[in-house]
Amino acid sequence: MVKEEQEESPNRPDNTAFTQQRLPAWQPILSASIVIPMFVLIGAAFIGVGVALFIASRDIQLQELDYTGDDSAHPCYKCRSSTEKCTCSMTFSIPNLFKGPVFFYYGLTNYFQNQRKYGASKDDNQLYGDLDYFKDPSSSCDPYTRDSRNIPIVPCGALANSMFNDTFSLSHVVNGTQKIVPLNGKGIAWWTDYNVKFRNPSVTPLINAFNGTKKPTNWPKPIYELDTTDVYNNGFINQDFLVWMRRAALPDFRKLYRRITHDDYVNGLPAGNYTLTIEYNYPVYSFNGRKKVVLSNVSWMGGKNDFLGIAYIVVGSMCVVMSIVMLIVYAKFKFAEDD
Amino acid sequence: MSKEDVESGLTWEVKANSRHYHKHKQRKSFLCFTWGRYSDNVVRSHKYSLLTFLPLTLFEQFQRAANIYFLLMVVLQCVPAISSIPWYITIIPLLVVLSVRGFKDLAGDLARRRCDSEINSRPCDVLFSQSFMTAQWKDLCVGDVLRIRRDQIMPADLLLLSSSEPHSLCYVETADIDGETNLKYRQALGATHNELTSHPSEEALGAFNGVVLCEEPNNRLYTFRGQLQWQGECFLLENEHILLRGTVLRNTDFAYGLTIYTGTDTKILRNCGKLRVKRTQLEEVFNKVVIGIVLSVLLAAVLLAIGAGVSSYQAMTKTSFLSALVIDGKPAYNGFLVYWSYIILLSPAMPIALYITFELIHTIHSKFIGWDLEMYWQQTDKPAEARNTSLSEELGQVGYLLSDKTGTLTQNRLLLRQCCIAGEVYGDASVSAEDVKPMDLSWNPFSSGGLRMFSPTLVETLRGQRCPVTTQFLSALALCHTVMAEWKEGSLVYQAASPDEETLVGAARELGWVFLSRTRDFVVVSELGATRQYQLLALLDFTSKRRRMSVLVRDPQGGLKLYCKGADVVILERLQKNCPHKESNEIALELFAEACLRTLCVAVRSVPEALWEQWSRTLALSAAMATCERDTLLEKLYDEMERDLLLLGVTAIEDRLQEGVPETIALLQEAGIRVWVLTGDKKETAVNIGYSCKLLHPESRLLEWQELREILQSADPQVSFFKAKQTELWATHKEMARAKTSVVLTGPELAEFEERPEWGASFMSLAEQCQSVLCCRVTPAQKAEIVELVRKHTASITMSIGDGANDVNMIKTAHIGVGLAGREGGQAVHNADFAVSQFRFLQRLLLVHGRWSYRRISLFLCYFLFKTCGFALVHIWFGILNGFSAQSLYETWFIALYTVFYTATPVMCMAFFEQDVSAESSLKLPELYKSGQKKELSSPRKLITYLLYAVYMSLVLFFIPCGVFYNTDYDYQTMAVTVSMAATFAVTIEIVILTKYWTKFNIAALCVSVVMFFICSRITHSTRLFQSSPADYFFLGVSEKAFIDPMVWLTALLTAWAAVLPSVTSHAFSVILSVHNKHKIHNSSPPPVELRSRFARGSSLRRSSYAISQGAGPGRLINSTTSIQRAEVLKEEKVSTSKKL
Repeated sequence: MVKEEQEESPNRPDNTAFTQQRLPAWQPILSASIVIPMFVLIGAAFIGVGVALFIASRDIQLQELDYTGDDSAHPCYKCRSSTEKCTCSMTFSIPNLFKGPVFFYYGLTNYFQNQRKYGASKDDNQLYGDLDYFKDPSSSCDPYTRDSRNIPIVPCGALANSMFNDTFSLSHVVNGTQKIVPLNGKGIAWWTDYNVKFRNPSVTPLINAFNGTKKPTNWPKPIYELDTTDVYNNGFINQDFLVWMRRAALPDFRKLYRRITHDDYVNGLPAGNYTLTIEYNYPVYSFNGRKKVVLSNVSWMGGKNDFLGIAYIVVGSMCVVMSIVMLIVYAKFKFAEDD
Repeated sequence: MSKEDVESGLTWEVKANSRHYHKHKQRKSFLCFTWGRYSDNVVRSHKYSLLTFLPLTLFEQFQRAANIYFLLMVVLQCVPAISSIPWYITIIPLLVVLSVRGFKDLAGDLARRRCDSEINSRPCDVLFSQSFMTAQWKDLCVGDVLRIRRDQIMPADLLLLSSSEPHSLCYVETADIDGETNLKYRQALGATHNELTSHPSEEALGAFNGVVLCEEPNNRLYTFRGQLQWQGECFLLENEHILLRGTVLRNTDFAYGLTIYTGTDTKILRNCGKLRVKRTQLEEVFNKVVIGIVLSVLLAAVLLAIGAGVSSYQAMTKTSFLSALVIDGKPAYNGFLVYWSYIILLSPAMPIALYITFELIHTIHSKFIGWDLEMYWQQTDKPAEARNTSLSEELGQVGYLLSDKTGTLTQNRLLLRQCCIAGEVYGDASVSAEDVKPMDLSWNPFSSGGLRMFSPTLVETLRGQRCPVTTQFLSALALCHTVMAEWKEGSLVYQAASPDEETLVGAARELGWVFLSRTRDFVVVSELGATRQYQLLALLDFTSKRRRMSVLVRDPQGGLKLYCKGADVVILERLQKNCPHKESNEIALELFAEACLRTLCVAVRSVPEALWEQWSRTLALSAAMATCERDTLLEKLYDEMERDLLLLGVTAIEDRLQEGVPETIALLQEAGIRVWVLTGDKKETAVNIGYSCKLLHPESRLLEWQELREILQSADPQVSFFKAKQTELWATHKEMARAKTSVVLTGPELAEFEERPEWGASFMSLAEQCQSVLCCRVTPAQKAEIVELVRKHTASITMSIGDGANDVNMIKTAHIGVGLAGREGGQAVHNADFAVSQFRFLQRLLLVHGRWSYRRISLFLCYFLFKTCGFALVHIWFGILNGFSAQSLYETWFIALYTVFYTATPVMCMAFFEQDVSAESSLKLPELYKSGQKKELSSPRKLITYLLYAVYMSLVLFFIPCGVFYNTDYDYQTMAVTVSMAATFAVTIEIVILTKYWTKFNIAALCVSVVMFFICSRITHSTRLFQSSPADYFFLGVSEKAFIDPMVWLTALLTAWAAVLPSVTSHAFSVILSVHNKHKIHNSSPPPVELRSRFARGSSLRRSSYAISQGAGPGRLINSTTSIQRAEVLKEEKVSTSKKL
């Protein structure tokens, strides 16, 4: 009878686990015997990862060459304030085999590529090959949208305008003669940048697309002449251009310039003396920036990076130390209670 | 209006039957201007109309600072020069918030509209040119003459002109005004009665042209001052002539009344207090924190803007590639723009989703309250209801519970449970009233059931007429009272002003002594079937000072008898010497007091004929005397008659408490809640109930006004309070050391507080040390003042509970108002924030729902603050390394989706389902509730700790990835994804730590959120979306590459773990320390609640009283002749001097 009444009344709340807040639930009961070992385990795991990272990082070979030339003794000193085309060369030696594949980077410091206005100063539609934006670039490129005669600039914007334009060549000194080390410039940019994000307008020859436009003011040559030897490395899809256009995260950064993968250097750079020849164009001294060339190989974790390994070890050790403190506190209370 | 009237304060003029005159002066309003004098009778509780809805709702919503803030953000984001994130990131959530809120308000308003129109369209009969027509309440106007039918509700405050009953008496039920269900008498003026009671009455009433001059509308329910000027004469008007809006006409076919106050001028609506929007303290604290965050953001933006100015200057002079980007070549202007950009960029620190989520959680918590089967009351088929959905967490912080008595603590049902006749105790109070076996009373044709006393021996003695004392006792019960009898649908119905009398007469009827009817001079009683007529010679009425009443009757045999009943102290001192059974009766009194029953002594006296003759002559003399002289004489006369009494016996009445009241009060007190009782009832009744519901400890000392006043007046109230306590301790037995003190106050005494506002603080600090405070004879407005007093002088949350219209004001004033949904037409429920059917449901409402809700919401707010600030403040640190250019470290879509998809559901599940202890344990360990009162989880300190934690997290989130990616070939977009990933992981770990109760929903929500991050990132970074809008989806291909990069993963994991390390560690420590604490709690678990009072035998703790709701008994009415002047009725005793312990 009671049941009938229950069914009759629509006001009676439903007797379900949800409405009665009796949902089956897992209530982990933590205790010192779980917490402390857990801390030890996590700490140990972090230390393990840290050590692995540290070892991997230590095994990576790195050759860094600063060619800013602010020291009068430096071979590039002469180029520092030269307005003409200037070339300087530096020699260095590699004591052991520099295992391949060797990555050739250029690095800049104190260079704020992550500045918001600088980073936004480009026209994505233009770079996507949309001819409408060749005639009328987006205002986000200001003040690098048009030149003094009001002709649209392609590629517009500060980011493209400030493209890094030092060039390098590396030669191996073999028996007193300079042997050019072949540098591979293919595949250094992101796949998506090369294939999707940047596109040349579908006009052949490419130069026609740029009628009525101007090259960026700082550039020595227009974009369609970046690499006249290779159609697939020219215009907006030039690898060096793509690498530059991918903004760095922080003011000190490296960008991949070339890879050494050919000829005798497939397995790396053999021990010996090398000469780096720099065509010095890019000014950095005004803002206390530095320029360098970095040769490095990579491991499973990427390039050399001591910070991550050390950070892992530090955090792991903190966990272990905490677990020890907890153990002491726990023991203290335990004994106090026993008393 | 004469000058004299103005001086006397009688400035409210009502002309009978002149609708046109009053209609002209009706109050009207347009916008904020009002004019006119008389309010109309329309209830308007709705706010919006079709036209005003949109502007009003927007206006209201933009009063909330957060909404204005976000609107400003949207505007700022639309300015291209400063837009650091696109405008649609903010406007979509803002629109959602505004429309959800708007629809909610609209739905509430429509419900109110329906409710109003139901009231406004109730019918009533109005006299239009000599005939009554049915009109609606809203059409009423001051000066209208109304006809109220039986069981109709008064639509306005009326002056009773005449009624269908003799002497133009009428009965009203005031349940909706003061919660009392017994009937009250109202009587028309003799003049109007005589002139207007003709048949048909329409003609006389239509010609009635009296003018009423009275006070301006006020909120004093129990007084009325005014005069009726009619036919050249002036009649004084009193409260007895007034029928208040909301009262119900009972047992009277018709009553005719003149409308005096309408609508908002009526006394009950004046008592309702203003509707205030209630906000929880937690929300207020949180709002302050939010304002704090906004100010910090503004400050941070200033600093960052200065940085931007300096770096722009440097860029101009040094950095060639950036110099052209400095707008107009003015670093200061650049800094100014960057300032706004940073405000936009840091605005997610104060998330818009918070408020909408907060409301959703509140709604679900309110639903849970309504869904709780254990708060569902089968008998009335009513579940609990949260009418205000935004207060649920305050239920977990209540410090003061202020309760009404009648109908809330008590059922308003009195039962004769025991009696002692001639030294013999009948009945057993230890059996609860429900379990009492019904006696076989089939021999009695008048029996209607309802006697909750099992005593076959008594019935046998009675039926055998073996004991004359027993017979006399029953005769006394049947004769000595002021009850009216009425035949209704073939059965005998009693109407009494005192519920106690009704119970006693009813009990006598069950036992065969049936009171049949009364006229002015005779009382007819059926004694075991034999109808006997007693001549009523005199009725010595009850007053709160006399505390007894007597009747002098001549029985059919011609003997003169005085039957008397009254409080034990008064009766015992008037007994004849060597009265038999005195001792056994006194023992019985002790016994009944122990069982918390209300006792009355019944006695008789055989009056010699000579004494009566002499006495009646003196009495006749008194009629001609002046009022005050007569009162003294009457007192003396009555005293002469009421002596040499023979004690017949003692009755013991149980004022039925609501189910589970003592247990609930004990539990709530254990939970640290102070329970105060505020009642319109007499002090005696209130104190009695205080004892029976265990609010007052049997040994507790009652601190009354005289003493309290001295303490308050002394230089240092604290010191003198303790002194008073100490002397008590010295003076009494050691047992008393544990006794606590309770304060008992009455309404008139409370009025003194208004004059001495400085007492408030010291009174509250005293009250805080007292067990309880009882306030008796307080008006609805005073109830609200007490609540206000508590609110003003303590930081605690107050909760009011009541069931009648007289509690509406206090329900509205308290932080939380609870209405008891007992009877029909619950005014209290309409104005309450929560409605429950039983007082004991408070246990669950507070200790279970309240505690959970408080915990859930506190955790939710802290966590929300942490996750949004921690995520947004990263931009400050990033600013240092990007030339303070307001560059975002996240993809814009991540900012938009972070609070909605990636982190919202797990915390919402926690806020819905979290339980640290089960409902059963919450009730078993009431002391757990105290953490809410101390605001342990919601203190500003706690919130600030979480803010600092958020700052720490933002530092970690930026600087660890920064360290990893410094001087490497990782680009900005990869770093953005890494930091996003780390942030998502960190807040996910944090919620895992906070959640203690893992339902399947929690687990699903957690998994879905994390998976969502990966899926949504892949989608927003996809080729297809990029091709559709390159400018909005420019993170093309980043996650594809980053999600398979071990460095990104290792960095994100390390960052996340380092970010939550402080929280994990502190939780681990609390686990380790709680092992110790748990042990402690276990050892100190409280002894089980002892519900039977511990009485020391022999202690005199009798509580005998006679409950009459308002003032003097109605005996005078019964004795009255037609020319009785009601104005002469004894002024009710304001301060009852007697006190019992």
